[in-house]
Amino acid sequence: MKVLELFNVHKVYNTTHVEVHAVNDVCLEFEEGEFAAIVGPSGSGKTTLLNMIGGLDMPTEGRILVNSTDLSTLKSSAIIDFRMRNIGFVFQSYNLIPVLTAKENIEFIMNLQKWPRKKRDKRTMELLKAVGLEDRVDSRPAQLSGGQQQRVAVARALASKPRFVLADEPTANLDTKSTENLLDIMEKLNREENITFIFSTHDARVVKKARRVITLEDGKVVSDEIRE
Amino acid sequence: MITKTAWKNVWRNKIRSLVVIASVTVGIFAGVFAVGVMNGAVDQRVDEVLDNEVSHIQITHPDFRSNNDLACNLENVSTLKERISGLEKVEAVCDRLFVVGMANTARKSVGVNIIGINPEEEKEIFGLYKELEPGTGDYFADPDREELSYIGFDLAKTLNIIRYQVNDEIIEELRSEELPEDILAGISEFTGERFDNERSFKKAMRSVLTAKQESEYGRLILEKAQTFRERAKFTLTFVNSNNHQTGGVFRVGGIYNIPNSMFESNQVFIQDRILRRLIEFPENTAHQIVIRLTDVDDTRTMTKKLRSDFPELEVLNWKQIQPDMAMMSDFAGVMYGFFMVIILAALAFGIVNTMLMVVLERTKELGMLTAIGMNKKKVFRMIMTESVFLSLTGGVAGMVVSWIIIKVTSARGINFGSMQEGLEAMGFSSYIYPDIGIDFFMIVTILIIITGILSSVYPALKALKLDPAEALRTE
Repeated sequence: MKVLELFNVHKVYNTTHVEVHAVNDVCLEFEEGEFAAIVGPSGSGKTTLLNMIGGLDMPTEGRILVNSTDLSTLKSSAIIDFRMRNIGFVFQSYNLIPVLTAKENIEFIMNLQKWPRKKRDKRTMELLKAVGLEDRVDSRPAQLSGGQQQRVAVARALASKPRFVLADEPTANLDTKSTENLLDIMEKLNREENITFIFSTHDARVVKKARRVITLEDGKVVSDEIRE
Repeated sequence: MITKTAWKNVWRNKIRSLVVIASVTVGIFAGVFAVGVMNGAVDQRVDEVLDNEVSHIQITHPDFRSNNDLACNLENVSTLKERISGLEKVEAVCDRLFVVGMANTARKSVGVNIIGINPEEEKEIFGLYKELEPGTGDYFADPDREELSYIGFDLAKTLNIIRYQVNDEIIEELRSEELPEDILAGISEFTGERFDNERSFKKAMRSVLTAKQESEYGRLILEKAQTFRERAKFTLTFVNSNNHQTGGVFRVGGIYNIPNSMFESNQVFIQDRILRRLIEFPENTAHQIVIRLTDVDDTRTMTKKLRSDFPELEVLNWKQIQPDMAMMSDFAGVMYGFFMVIILAALAFGIVNTMLMVVLERTKELGMLTAIGMNKKKVFRMIMTESVFLSLTGGVAGMVVSWIIIKVTSARGINFGSMQEGLEAMGFSSYIYPDIGIDFFMIVTILIIITGILSSVYPALKALKLDPAEALRTE
């Protein structure tokens, strides 16, 4: 089942009369349960592509369908709501809310969706256990290591059971051990919950784990390799 | 969760938040306490008007108030009083005779209102008898002494009934008040000398005290040096109902001392039967019927009722008799609210500035929140709630502090002695007992919440304009 389709997507930035093609005629499809990495050198358009897939940015040309819904047809308020229900985000610098505990950070999105308390608590504890942080429930981000913070961020991204998770350079700030640990957790959750993961990365360790690797160069897809 | 996050966000930068909270605390304390003092002064003045000067409702002949003609009097007063006394909500009724005349001593003459009263009935309505200056008399204790009168402190000063004298006892009293020895030595120079009026005593003081010493201790020395000529004589002259000049010799049977120097200087009370005889007025007549109600809040409805019961008479309540006081009392609440709005408006700039810093500092976080699905309404609510918490924390602290200070000072009073003359000229006491109702605290709480909300609008709008993709790139 297709969760994401990109048709001839372009993104052109107009900086001081010079047109920059950040993304150039990209056509892609993602099936449910994929574990895909978008790779490429800096400036190849990875983050721009992820932003457009996540509805944070709009293509200059082309269409993006998430679960058959064309994002360009949604109003800005509807896009935010759509993101909340369908897309999970993991950021390079974790971006947890520093005043909330690990549990509260994970619960945040479920609260926004008005989940009942019992259901919320159950899901939060499940995720904390899955990312191996069940003993750090009440720790604030400042009390956690970088790897632990990113694991909380992954748990938060998965909290509301989205259709797919977009992770922009999730391991860029992590050491080898934390990276491996995080990738194992994400892979496990991908298999157990059948949630699609799409990474932008130039980390070879991530690329090695990915089951599909899409390579971008100058905004164009130069290869799309599916591994077994 | 938004409320909880907003509250936790308040304490993210503790020092900055505490500075804002402290400024709101100080501002609210200053505002509420100042309002407490103003309200206390106004309440005291209104009580003074009701208890000593006007009472709640007065009934007169329709033409009496405009031309003060003795002939404009009320007849069948006992029947009128009986009917009014029988009404529900009426606590007491008395009647008075009024004549405009002159009070004279050997050296001074001054125009006064001479009021004929029944002292016992009067006590049911007015509390003026309680304002008797100790040692000056006994307020008509012996009704057979027809020559006794009850006059104000300022009139007594004008008629030179109050004199000034320093003796060893007064020097000792002043020493116990910790007056410097050089001042005591200075005023000891005129020990035993008697001064007939305040002016001559002040002149003598100035010869031995510096200007600074006089401004600091002059009033205390003046008060201690006051002596009263017991049962001092003076004459009252006026025109009777037959347009003949008449009058009588009276003695001071008591001096009342109230904060209203204007009232004190021109209201002389004598027994009504003496005045009736002197102005040759028939029995069962009066110029005024004064009514005290069980509850002042019933004044308006009772005025209306009495007007319909006695359409041929003029029925006025205290607000109509003293419109300046009525305006002060009625508009006081609006004035206090306006005063607080000005203070809060000034504080709002500080809150806006802090909230703008908050938005600037949390650009990346706000971008993340929008990215994960927090809609604009919720972002706005979170910033607004944080702003309200910030202002409300300071506001509640300010209200608690001001409530405590008002409670303490309302029991002891605040002495505005240095402004005594000015305050008393306007009818206000120099001792003010701050007072504020719980309803005012509720209004202030609402105003603080409104300030918090309004202060958050501009910063929140700035937050809403953030592009999440761009905000996430911020370092």
